[in-house]
Amino acid sequence: MKKIFFWSILVLLSLSVAAGVLFAGSGEKPPEEQFITIHWAQWAPADYLEKLSEGFTVETGIKVIVEQTPWETFVQKYNTEMIARSDAWDIIVGDSQDIGNMAVNGHYVELTDWIKKHKVDKTFTPASLTYFAEYPKGSGKYFAVPCEGDALAWAYRMDLFEDPDNKADFKAQFGYELGVPKSWDMLKDIAEFFHDPDNGFYGVAIYGDNGYDSLAMFAEQVIWSFGGELGDYSTYKVDGLLNSKGAIAGIEYYQELFQFTPPGFGDAFFVKCNDTYTAGIVPMTCNYLAFFPALANEATCPYARDTGYFACPPQKGTDGKVRQFAALGGQGASVITYSKKQDLAFKWLEWFIKPDTQMEWALLGGYTCHAETLASDEFLNATPYNPAFKKSMEIFKDWWACPEYDVLLRTFSETIADYVIGDKGTAEEALDKCTQQWESVFKEAGYY
Amino acid sequence: MSSRLKENQGSDMEAHYHSMSDKTLMRLFILPTLVLLISINVFPLFWSLFLSFTKYTAKMTNIWGKNPEMIGIANYARVLTDPEMWVKFITTAKYVIMSVAGEMILGFGFALLLQTKFKGRGFITTLLILPMTMSPVIVGLRWRLFYEPNWGMFNFLLGLGRIDWISDPSRNLYSIVIADVWMWTPFVMLLSLAGLSAVPKYLYEAAEIDRASWWFKFTRITLPMVYPILMLALIFRTIEAFKIFDLPMGITGRGAMAPPLLSMHLYNVSFVTWNTSFGSSIGYIMLIMVLAITLIFVKYLNKAKQ
Amino acid sequence: MKQSVSKKKNIVHFLLIFLICIITFVYLIPLFFIVHTSFKPWVHIRDYPPKILFKPTITSYIRIFTSRTPLPPGRAFSEEEVFNMKWYERLIYKDTNEEIVRKGDFPRRYLNSIIVVIGSTLTTIIIGTLAAYGFSRGKLKGKDDWLFFILTTRMLPPVVVVIPVFLMFRALNLTDTHIGLILLYTAFNVSFAVWVMKGFIDEIPIEYEEAAMVDGYTRFQVFRKIVVPQATTGIAATSVFCFIYAWNEYAFAFILSRKYAQTVPAWLPYQMGVLGYDWGAAAGGTFLFLLPAMIFTIILRKHLVRGITFGAIRK
Repeated sequence: MKKIFFWSILVLLSLSVAAGVLFAGSGEKPPEEQFITIHWAQWAPADYLEKLSEGFTVETGIKVIVEQTPWETFVQKYNTEMIARSDAWDIIVGDSQDIGNMAVNGHYVELTDWIKKHKVDKTFTPASLTYFAEYPKGSGKYFAVPCEGDALAWAYRMDLFEDPDNKADFKAQFGYELGVPKSWDMLKDIAEFFHDPDNGFYGVAIYGDNGYDSLAMFAEQVIWSFGGELGDYSTYKVDGLLNSKGAIAGIEYYQELFQFTPPGFGDAFFVKCNDTYTAGIVPMTCNYLAFFPALANEATCPYARDTGYFACPPQKGTDGKVRQFAALGGQGASVITYSKKQDLAFKWLEWFIKPDTQMEWALLGGYTCHAETLASDEFLNATPYNPAFKKSMEIFKDWWACPEYDVLLRTFSETIADYVIGDKGTAEEALDKCTQQWESVFKEAGYY
Repeated sequence: MSSRLKENQGSDMEAHYHSMSDKTLMRLFILPTLVLLISINVFPLFWSLFLSFTKYTAKMTNIWGKNPEMIGIANYARVLTDPEMWVKFITTAKYVIMSVAGEMILGFGFALLLQTKFKGRGFITTLLILPMTMSPVIVGLRWRLFYEPNWGMFNFLLGLGRIDWISDPSRNLYSIVIADVWMWTPFVMLLSLAGLSAVPKYLYEAAEIDRASWWFKFTRITLPMVYPILMLALIFRTIEAFKIFDLPMGITGRGAMAPPLLSMHLYNVSFVTWNTSFGSSIGYIMLIMVLAITLIFVKYLNKAKQ
Repeated sequence: MKQSVSKKKNIVHFLLIFLICIITFVYLIPLFFIVHTSFKPWVHIRDYPPKILFKPTITSYIRIFTSRTPLPPGRAFSEEEVFNMKWYERLIYKDTNEEIVRKGDFPRRYLNSIIVVIGSTLTTIIIGTLAAYGFSRGKLKGKDDWLFFILTTRMLPPVVVVIPVFLMFRALNLTDTHIGLILLYTAFNVSFAVWVMKGFIDEIPIEYEEAAMVDGYTRFQVFRKIVVPQATTGIAATSVFCFIYAWNEYAFAFILSRKYAQTVPAWLPYQMGVLGYDWGAAAGGTFLFLLPAMIFTIILRKHLVRGITFGAIRK
């Protein structure tokens, strides 16, 4: 017994010494110049943001570092850092569905007053504020400034769609003209038309990965378009909405469309969709708009010149009503509670929301949510995909934003994938199972 | 064998030492190691043992009584009764059996082949062991490209057509097994080579005189002599395959189409949906299983030493 | 009669060697394609059937060392601008229409790997050898139990340990620090080091130490001047194993590091370029990353068996 005591005293002592030494050594490198750090995912818009912020540095002398984390670990990394109350970043450009979690746990500074003072609620599109900035939805409390608007949209091979032979064959087979899809049904017909696995050509490239949110994002837009809902975001009611007829039709549609993807699409996310499209084995692909610059790059995409873009098509739902929806991507910029340079961060935000900055942001390739900029011809003509972006910004809708969104996402992705990708069970079973699980999550969280 | 001798001499030395007893000094020698192991390995384990009896998520702020909140053995009950957890246990077991069996057969086979004497044998052996010194996650990533159905080399070289080895749930467990076997066969081979070279030559010579068949020599001389080392390899590989995490992360990622392996599930539970306490209880069950295999491992480790 | 038997034996011998060469060749195909892919031009990586022969290019290696952004559609550099570019900028611009915006993260991650590996290997060797000596020469009660305990820590699944370690590191501000990773890798390697080093030290005849003690050496002096010099082979073998473990470790690095201390295995798998997965650059990075481990394996060949059996097999 004595020996154990001896050991434990020694262990405790050495532990505390070690901890003390480590704490003393942890604060490193005091910066000479003023700078702020913005954390965002690793992709082109982050590069554009860094370039854009050079203007801010010229104006104020404050340097802006945009730290980029790969998409696969982006959300996990900022969650981990926030839990650790890290001051590594001053601003996070974070995913829209995470805002509830960040707001409830106090990781983000509330921006309601700031947004009203600077009239962001007047100059930015209302939908973007709701989905990127507000929590709880409808409360008028804001925690972010819409930074990068984004949504799922489509790229297609104009050369194939306009080929006279294809047009004639398509008309013979389906009885109407081949062209940019006017409904989800038509989109599926086109996919079926082009699908030719024997010759190594496939109908469509869409998401199949459920590691994070890609599968769920595609699923939600077809659910909405066919007349279903994910649930009521204010009452947390799910039963009767998620397992409604419209939702079932949507998921069934997803499953049918998925049959026309190339092999190996069960883990397809944005990169694979782009890769497959540039490899020239699909006539169209669905992806976030922010990934389209790769398809318009002639050096890496042989079909860049022949690529056209369109927003998600409308669809007549199971109840006969026509709806048009696109799944929201994109991020809002939020100030971190633990940042030691909040004043500088606010300075940057003030500069960022100026109309001039927003226009420059748009022209660089960023996706502004600034209403005036969006409507300008200058923006619409800047890139081939900007018109599709403008349309998408009118029809987008988002996933749950409550703190439990990650559990919801995981269960949804798993159950839906079993049906859509794994061909197990029926759409109804999958959605019923998901409804049950979601309701128990909400019950446990105390919403009802 | 000489430990008793050593101990006697040790007490002589002790007499030489006045300021501090030799025993205390020896303890001080061991101390840094134990301190490190206790603080980095053992202490956290007790922490997670505690957490496994609570409801706790690391994503929210700690409030005692609420997060973590004591819930007894509910987590363990859930692990053991959830049918989907059993799928994970079974998949992991399947994975372990297939990959370890493949490695043992191929590894021992290669070792037998390499008994052939020729110039450059050492060089070939070195080439063959290269895969096992590589980072599993990076190896996994390379295999992912290799397997890619639309432009990868694997299907092309085998003339298979566009078969999906990565995201098809009926097949991707095998693709990880193949990569694992590729990577760790050299391990078994290396151990077997050591075992084979330790078999005394005179046994074979005696058998030769008796005109014993190849099969007789193999089953009566080779196998019994290499047996302890083969067991060592088997158990070590079993432990490692049971814990497998890096390789599937590289090949299939952690999506729901990926094979439901225990450690991947543990990662998803703990760091994707942040159910820290439930993750801890799965972790503890894995831990107990690994410790049980380790116990057998040590037995053979001591046997192989003799 | 005799001649034909030996002839038959020769043929079998030859066939066996041939078989071994074939197996080795097949076995190394995946390795070959890492190097092969790294020299493939961007546009050919997605070709089907895959191109085996092509004009090699080093743009993949430039890409892994740089951070680039594609030019927005419709924008291009003037001829003069292209002329004034550095050679690697021109190569990248022509190959993928990208502009190099800054130095890439790869060198930094590589440096992190080196720092963490050297730091943890040194610490492991120092405290591991001390402990091995203690276990070898000391007559401590419950020695075998302690040794077993030490071994079990090595067998723990990293994913299991990482949850509590994550919580602890968070509380101690150790996430994403070199010290944190060094401590962790040391803790995981030290068990291995103790087992292997104990084997080596057991082999050193105790008589030298005895004689030295009679001459008035203290224990520490004995350890430093007599034991360590005789155990250098063991130290070399152990340190290379520690090196390989820490160099390749993924689970801890992935969860416990983000940027400042992130090592290559935690970083490289997630480098998909903006333009689609950059398989070429990933292959290039892989090749550069695997190189040190391969070199060490070749140097270490003779000690490999002893190391992987935790010192059980002496050969």
